[in-house]
Amino acid sequence: MTRERALILIALLAILGAVAWSARPHDPTPAERVDRITSELRCVTCQGLSVKDSPAASARQMRDLVVQRIAEGRTDDEIRDEFRASYGDWVLLSPPASSWSGLIWLVPLVALVAGLAVAIGRVRPATSSAAAPSARDLAALRERVAREEALDLPRTEGAE
Amino acid sequence: MQRWLRLSIVVGITALVVVLMLAFRRDPRDIRTGTVNKPAAAFTLDRLDGAGRVALADHTGKVVVLNFFASWCIPCKEENPALVRVWERYRSSDVVVIGILYQDSLESGRRYVRDNGVTWPTLTDEDGRIAFAYGVFGIPETYFIGPDGIIAGRHIGPIDEATLVAAIDSLRPKAAR
Amino acid sequence: MTPSFADLGTAALRAALPLAIWGIGAAAYAAAKRDGRALASARWAALITFLLVASAALAMVGALVTHDFSVAYVAKNNALETPPFFTVISLWAALEGSILLWTAILAGATAYVAWRGTPALPRLGTTALAVLFTMVTFFLLLVTTPAADPFVRSEIVPLNGNGPNPLLQNHPLMGLHPPLLYLGYVLFSVPFAYAIASLILGEGGDRWLVATRRFALVSWALLGVGIVAGAWWSYAVLGWGGYWAWDPVENAAIMPWLVATAYLHSVMVEEKRRLLRSWNLSLVIATFALTILGTFLTRSGVVNSVHAFTQSAIGPLLLGYLVAIVVLSVGLLLWRMPTLRDAGAVGAPLSREAIFLFQNVVFVAATLTVLLGTLYPLIAEALSGAQLSIGRPYFDRVEVPLALALLFLMGIGPQLPWHGASRATLERQFTAPIVASAGGALLAVATGLGGAFAVLTYALAAFVAATVVQEFARGIRARRTLHGESAGTAFANLLRRSGRRYGGYVVHLGIVLVAVAVATSQSKTVEIERTVRAGDRFDVAGYTVSFNGLRDVKEPQRDLLVGDLAITGNGADERLRPALVFYPHATQAVGSPGISAGLRDDLYTILIAYDTSAQTWATIRVLVIPLVSWLWLGGAVVGLGAVIAALPQPKRREALRPLAEAPATVGD
Repeated sequence: MTRERALILIALLAILGAVAWSARPHDPTPAERVDRITSELRCVTCQGLSVKDSPAASARQMRDLVVQRIAEGRTDDEIRDEFRASYGDWVLLSPPASSWSGLIWLVPLVALVAGLAVAIGRVRPATSSAAAPSARDLAALRERVAREEALDLPRTEGAE
Repeated sequence: MQRWLRLSIVVGITALVVVLMLAFRRDPRDIRTGTVNKPAAAFTLDRLDGAGRVALADHTGKVVVLNFFASWCIPCKEENPALVRVWERYRSSDVVVIGILYQDSLESGRRYVRDNGVTWPTLTDEDGRIAFAYGVFGIPETYFIGPDGIIAGRHIGPIDEATLVAAIDSLRPKAAR
Repeated sequence: MTPSFADLGTAALRAALPLAIWGIGAAAYAAAKRDGRALASARWAALITFLLVASAALAMVGALVTHDFSVAYVAKNNALETPPFFTVISLWAALEGSILLWTAILAGATAYVAWRGTPALPRLGTTALAVLFTMVTFFLLLVTTPAADPFVRSEIVPLNGNGPNPLLQNHPLMGLHPPLLYLGYVLFSVPFAYAIASLILGEGGDRWLVATRRFALVSWALLGVGIVAGAWWSYAVLGWGGYWAWDPVENAAIMPWLVATAYLHSVMVEEKRRLLRSWNLSLVIATFALTILGTFLTRSGVVNSVHAFTQSAIGPLLLGYLVAIVVLSVGLLLWRMPTLRDAGAVGAPLSREAIFLFQNVVFVAATLTVLLGTLYPLIAEALSGAQLSIGRPYFDRVEVPLALALLFLMGIGPQLPWHGASRATLERQFTAPIVASAGGALLAVATGLGGAFAVLTYALAAFVAATVVQEFARGIRARRTLHGESAGTAFANLLRRSGRRYGGYVVHLGIVLVAVAVATSQSKTVEIERTVRAGDRFDVAGYTVSFNGLRDVKEPQRDLLVGDLAITGNGADERLRPALVFYPHATQAVGSPGISAGLRDDLYTILIAYDTSAQTWATIRVLVIPLVSWLWLGGAVVGLGAVIAALPQPKRREALRPLAEAPATVGD
């Protein structure tokens, strides 16, 4: 294995390790649960801010209610349902994945995959028909490529 | 490949336009609360004037008009005369108006009550829980609770006398029975 | 009786309208018949139209400055006590004034194309001029009819006006954000007009694209910087501690910007390889359509947002305009599709053009996601009556992975040659950046950055930064070899002579700064809320916050209740004054945060609540937000990079090999 490949491999492992470490599952603390729930609840007197972000009085009262419910041992869903009973689905800033409004989570994925499929379909490797260049031609070509890439001069007319 | 692409573009754009046109029909500020046609949340709150507590249960069998207000709310002041007239008309019967102070200090609330001639019971909801239980978005908001304890209707924004009377009258025959 | 400013403005607009209509005819005739006189008359029509609309805008400023409350717009958006700066910028504070500004910019762009664009490319430029004239006519119709007439008279002339919306007079940034945004929006009309002209004439080539390349770059840059200015305004004025909430109007601005970014890149593919012709036309049409859609969403009242202007008749008109544009453009595109043949194909998957293609797909997917998320509540309600919200949790969760994919592509794209690269080349080029990437990931973990996405952002940011440094190093080395320049001179010459490429790298560095700023501020912000009395102090993230009481401050146009805070620790020694601002006509106070910006941390304080009876206590929220300043810095770097890329190259060609003369372009 060349030195470069070894370095690349080690680096990729390090990145993987770092990501895995930061993504390790852990039980959320009550404070983290409050943050998570309040970030998904809509402040009812604001223009679309979450309860977590909003400094409005009603948002702070909602937050206090969430804190109390967590202390009482309610689950996240129960707390969210309490607000949904009063305000409807409107009060959730993120549509639940279960209902048909959860379709919205699929659409970006589908769009991305479909787009990539179309794009990859357009990438057609060209068959090499010319004879391989001689060593001297190769050296001259390399030098020219290096010069052009460094200076990015337009190769075709009409381009700026 | 080209044909379905063209077709999907045309369909997509048409759908977008139709949606945007339909969007004109609605008022983005009109949010339907989830509590209409559900049992009204029970409460027991302190009176603003300090003279004890009032519970919703005290008034079962009556038509309850629940009005959320605050001293800093200008439309509340505007709708107040209508509430005063309606209260005068119905107070001796089976209808009760209850005001609940929303996001305001006791002192400012009391001053508002005094300055605007509010004579129906006014209560304080310090931690906002009752407002949440009813689904209050912003004031003024008025809820109509039937004698059966179900929330029959809700009105956001300043209310006028005609709407109040119509709503109350639609609930009253049940009580008279 | 001397005419008032309002009279002058009204007259100017009403005179401009027939001129613009004349301009359509003159330009179309000149293009069709190659008639020089018609062209001359179209040019003068364009110039005079611009002068008239500009005068109308100035007349509105005059009416504002003289507090002429007989004009309804002035009565609603200005008051005697409004400070002069905010009086002047009230020109764009509300609907009618901002449409007037839009029209003025559009008329200016039209005049520019008339005088600079038509000589360079006579038929194409003149046809584009006709298209621009139709757009100017539409907007002039808006401002001369009750839909958006800024000079409509008040029914009753009040003694004093309402003054601007409290949120719009809290911060001088209001002077910067809307004009930048409008310039970005409106200037995109020019590439669009050229694209439509190219389709009308059935040219099928790339001239329209080459001619408007610089215009597209400039409007992209202005829109981007305008969006960053908007984020800064949200941060400094709205007082919730954040800078982006995926508010419908924020989304309306970012959608055209995303598509425009895709366009800027795929333009390069068309220039170098003559590919993606119909795709580029679609991108330009989509960008322009999104700018109109954005305007529609902001002004029609169909969505609730921070910017919500009141509902007016302009909504259906803008929707009609949008529909007309989309139908006509798409129709033209589909009609001319047979003439738009690509000169080849994208060869290898690991080539620059392929990467640009993938990057385009990701940008379009990101834009469609934002569009769908913004419109979904409308769709759901129209179809089933259900009322939903789509907010930050949805957008963040979907857009962050796409943004990371873009960061990745941003790192490898510029490194790959056109037509493809060999394995050996790849290994040689990417070893150092991948190692740097590992360094970034480890740094993220070491500094306690939580979350996999944040760590990935650091890794990819380091990757991109390393590739940019590598590219600069190669370029400097090449210049030293070929021209014997010193490193410093080589660096400067890279920026001057290969501005497109190296300016682009500077833009990428700016984006890296923004990515790091977003990841760090989202992941490591510390927030604390305390109710305190004068003399109390508390600690947060290594800083000590002391509360020194509340005091009242009276200004001519508003009253403030200010909380005095002192923050020490970690090398900081700041006095901050979060306040609640009371404007005469507002029912509730507007929060004004006290911010101390730093290169490492921002200290952000909000006065949440206070003792209304005796002012003995206050509730203060303090946020320590790391690296958020890098966001504004990054935005500035992006702007700088765009300037470098847009500057005309020095005329003196270097003696390396003979070159064909580049044709004159619009914007040279």
